[in-house]
Amino acid sequence: MKGIGGLGAFRACVCLAALLFLGVFLVYPLATVLLASVRDPDTGAWTLAPYRQIAASRYYLGSVGNSLLAGVLSMGFVCVLAVPLAFCLARLEVPGKPVLLTLASLPLVLPSFVGAYALVLLFGHAGIATVAMRDIGLPVGSIYGMPGIVIVFTLTLYPYVLMPVMAGFQAVDIAIEEAARNLGGSRFHVFRTVLLPVVMPSVLAGALLVFIEALENFGVPAVLAEDRPFLALDIFKLFAGESDSNPGAAGALSVLLVACTAGVLVLQRRWLARRRFATGARRVPPPIVLGRGGRIAAGVFCWAVVLLSVLPFAAVLVISFQHFRGPVLNWEITLSNYAALLRGSYRPLWNTLLLASIAAMAVTLLGAPIGYVLARHRSRLSTLLDIVVTVPFAVSGTVLGIGLVIAFNSGWLVLTGGWLILSVAFVVRKLPFSVRSAGAIVHQIDPSLEEASINLGVSPLRTFLTMTVPMMAAGLAGGMVLVWVTVTSELSATIVLYSSRWRTMTVLMFQSLEGTAPGEAAAAASILIVFTALPLLLVYRLLQRQGMGVL
Amino acid sequence: MTAIRLEGVTRSYGAVRAVDDVSLTVNEGEFFTLLGPSGCGKTTLLRMIAGFTDVEHGSIWFGARRIDAVPAHRRNTGMVFQSYAVFPNLTVAGNVAYGLRARKVGRAETGARVARALASVQLGALGERWPHELSGGQLQRVAIARSLVIEPAVLLFDEPLSNLDAQLRTQLRVEIRQLQRQLGLTAVYVTHDQEEALAVSDRIAVMRAGRVEQVGPPEAIYRTPGTAFVAEFMGSTNMLPGRIEAVDGAEIAVRAGGAMFRVQGAAGTVGDPVLLSIRPETMRVLAGDADGRSVTEDGRSVTATLVLREFLGPTLRLHTVLPDGTPLRVAALGGQEIRQGAGGALLLGYDAAQIILYPAS
Ligand SMILES: Nc1ncnc2c1ncn2[C@@H]1O[C@H](COP(=O)(O)OP(=O)(O)O)[C@@H](O)[C@H]1O
Ligand SMILES: [Mg+2]
Repeated sequence: MKGIGGLGAFRACVCLAALLFLGVFLVYPLATVLLASVRDPDTGAWTLAPYRQIAASRYYLGSVGNSLLAGVLSMGFVCVLAVPLAFCLARLEVPGKPVLLTLASLPLVLPSFVGAYALVLLFGHAGIATVAMRDIGLPVGSIYGMPGIVIVFTLTLYPYVLMPVMAGFQAVDIAIEEAARNLGGSRFHVFRTVLLPVVMPSVLAGALLVFIEALENFGVPAVLAEDRPFLALDIFKLFAGESDSNPGAAGALSVLLVACTAGVLVLQRRWLARRRFATGARRVPPPIVLGRGGRIAAGVFCWAVVLLSVLPFAAVLVISFQHFRGPVLNWEITLSNYAALLRGSYRPLWNTLLLASIAAMAVTLLGAPIGYVLARHRSRLSTLLDIVVTVPFAVSGTVLGIGLVIAFNSGWLVLTGGWLILSVAFVVRKLPFSVRSAGAIVHQIDPSLEEASINLGVSPLRTFLTMTVPMMAAGLAGGMVLVWVTVTSELSATIVLYSSRWRTMTVLMFQSLEGTAPGEAAAAASILIVFTALPLLLVYRLLQRQGMGVL
Repeated sequence: MTAIRLEGVTRSYGAVRAVDDVSLTVNEGEFFTLLGPSGCGKTTLLRMIAGFTDVEHGSIWFGARRIDAVPAHRRNTGMVFQSYAVFPNLTVAGNVAYGLRARKVGRAETGARVARALASVQLGALGERWPHELSGGQLQRVAIARSLVIEPAVLLFDEPLSNLDAQLRTQLRVEIRQLQRQLGLTAVYVTHDQEEALAVSDRIAVMRAGRVEQVGPPEAIYRTPGTAFVAEFMGSTNMLPGRIEAVDGAEIAVRAGGAMFRVQGAAGTVGDPVLLSIRPETMRVLAGDADGRSVTEDGRSVTATLVLREFLGPTLRLHTVLPDGTPLRVAALGGQEIRQGAGGALLLGYDAAQIILYPAS
C-alpha cells in the first residue's frame, strides 16, 4: 500500500489495533476456557475427563438437549408467527401500521428476562392471572420450563425474522409477480412459487439468528427453568456455584455451546451470502386490496401478535406501581416498590448508566473505523479481521464472562472486580453490531465522493476525518444509542463479572427475583424497560431510515 | 499543459489482467479517449493515472515527472466521475471551491475563480443551490466546474455522460470538448460509446481485454480499423467469413456468402480463411435489371435478396441476404427510391478499397 497518503497506514493501524484488542479480550479468554476443559487443574496434564463426565451424566445431556430443543421450537414458532406478519405488514393495508412497526421493534431491545419475569408475575405459581383464574375455577397449566421459555423466546425474538422478511417482501419486483399472475397463477400460487422462494433466504437467516440467541440466552431460563437443566444456566452454575463449582465441566459445556452457535452462524452467513436475488425492485409494491373480512382478519392478526409481545412489559410497568404485602398484590397505587428497591443507594442505576455510556462510546470509536475499513478495503488482514470480529456473535455472554475471569484474575493483567472488565466485555459483545452498522452506513456513501475529495487535493486521512466521518455521524449516533440500550439490559456477561461495588440494574433485578418481594423486582424491571424503550423510540426514525438491518 | 506517458503499465486482480502492458503517449493539450467494451480495463487505466489504483508494473509520467508513486491528492488531476460525486453537504459554490480551499487559495481569489468556473459551465446563477435541488446534467456541470477550477495538469473523465439522457449527452459532450480546447488542457476520456468517442476525440485508443488494440485519430480508426475486433466495435459493420479464391497482384478474390468479392489487400494465399468487413454505408444499390445482372463498369457488385427495409429518416436500412443466406446490412440514403419489395433481388455495388480483409482467427 505505497503512497496512499496516510490512509494505507491508517487502515493497517485500524486492523492491527482491532486484532490486538480482540486477540487479548476475545481469543485469549476463549482459549483459556477451552484449555480449562482439556487440562487437569491440579496436575496440568491433558485430559478429556470433563467431556467424559458430561457424556456420562443424564443431567448435562439433558441440559444440552433442552437448550437445543428450546432453540428449535422457538425458531419454528417464530417463523410461523413472523412470516405471515411480515407479509401482512409489507403488502396489506393494516390500520395503524406505523405504530405497529414501532411496537414490533421494541422486543429487540427490551430485556427478554424481564419478559420472562412478566410471565411469572402473571402466570407463575402465585401469578396475578393464575390466582384470579383459580378463584373462578379455571385451572392454569404450569408455564415453568420448556413452555414458558419457548413462549418468551418466540415473543421477544420474532423481530429477527420479521424485519428482514418484511424488507424481502417489499423488495420483490412487482413485475415478477405480475408476470406470474399474467401467466395464469392464482394469488396463493404466486405467493408460494414466487414470493416465498424469494424471501426464503431471509427467513432462514433470521431464524438461525433466533436459534443462536435462544441457545445463548441466560436470563430467560434463569427466570423460568426452576430446576430443569439448560445449557447457559448450567455453565454459569458450574463455574460460579458455591457448592458444585467445576471449571472443567463448565469449560466443556462452554465449548459445546460455542461449537453449536458458531456452526449455526456459519450456516446463517451462507444464507446471507446468497440473499442477493431479492433485490431489483424499482418501487415499493402497491398494497394488495382485500375484502372487508380479509382486512379485518389481517388487522386483528397483526395487532394481536404485536400487542401480545409488548403487553407483558406494560403489565410489569403497571404492577410496579401497585402495593405488595409480602407476595400478595393490593390494587393500590404507590411508589413504595421503587423506594424499597433503591433503598439508600442509587449506585446500581448510576453503574448501569455509566457503564452503558462508556461501552457505547468505546464500541462506536472502535467499531466505526473497523466498519469503514472492512466496507471500503479488502486485504488479507481485513479479511482476517472480518472473521474475528464476527466471533462474538457466536459466543454467549456467560462464556465470554467466564473466559475473561479466568484470563484476567491473575497474572500479567488483573482486571476482575472492576468497571473495566465489565466495559471490556460489553465492548467485545457489541462490537459486531457496531461494525455491521458502521459498514451499512459506509455502503450508503458513494466511494466516488471520497475519491473526488482526494482528487481535489485533500489527503485521504483528512478526507476521511472531515468528510466521511461527518456524513456517517447521524447513523453512528443511532447505532450508539442502540448499543447503549442493549448494554443497559445486558445480563449474561454481567452476572459473571460484576462485583458488589459494580452491581448494575440487571444484577439488582436478578437478585430481587430470588427474594420474596415481587414489587421490587417489578420496579427494577420497569426501570430497565424505560431505559431501553425510550431511547429506541427517540431514535427510531433515524434507524428506520438506515433500515433496521443494523440490529 | 502536460503530456502523459504510460510505459508498460500492468495491473491484475487475481487471475484477471485488468490492464496488460499498456504503453501510450498523450500529447499536450490533446483530447485522448480510451474506448472499449465494458470490462476491458478503461476505468482501471484511468484510475492508475489518477492514483486511485496502484500500478503493478510499468511507469506513468506527467511530462518529465514520474508520478506513479505520487499519492493521488498530490497529482493535480481533475477527475469527473460517472456518478457525479458532488458533495451533498456543500452548496454548488462550496463544491467548486473545495479544491481551491485545499490549495489554500485566498478568499477573494477563490470567489472570483469559482464564479468564472460556474459561468463557464452555464451555472452562473446557481452557486447558492444545494445539490439535491439540481438535475443530473446540472450536477455533472458542477463536477466539471469543480475539476476545471483547480487548473489541473490533466483532466480525467470516467464515462461522465452515461447517466444522462441522449439529448443532454450530445449537448454536454460538445461543451466539454469546447472547454477543454479553450483551456488547452490535456484530457483523458473514458467511454464505451463509439459515437461519443468519434465525436469528441483528437485520438482514440481502442482497448480489448486490458490491451490496446489500435491508437489513432477517429477517421483512421473508423475507416481503416487495424483488427477485426476494432472494425466490429467501431460501428455496425458486416463481418463475412470467406475464403481466398485467387490472388492477382494487389487484388484478391474472396468467396463469401456465396458471392465473389474482389478486394485489395496485402498478400494472402489461396485457400486461406478470411473475414471481410463491409460497412453498410459503403454499399450502393445499383439500378440493375431485375435479374440482378451485373451492369457496373468494373463488375464490382454482388446480388442479394431483400428481406426487410427499415426507414430511419435520413437513411434507409436494408436487411438482405447473400445467395447462401448470409445476412448483409446495407444503408441507403432515405431519399433514394428503391422499388423492390421483400423477396426482390438487389444489385449491390461496392468500392474495393473500402472492404477490409482480416485473417480469420
Ligand atoms: N477492484 C477490483 N477488484 C477486482 N477486479 C476488478 C476491480 N476493478 C476492476 N476489476 C476487473 O478488472 C477488469 C477491468 O475493469 P474496469 O477497468 O472497471 O473495466 P471498464 O472500465 O473498461 O468497464 C474487469 O474484469 C473487472 O472485473
Ligand atoms: Mg468503467
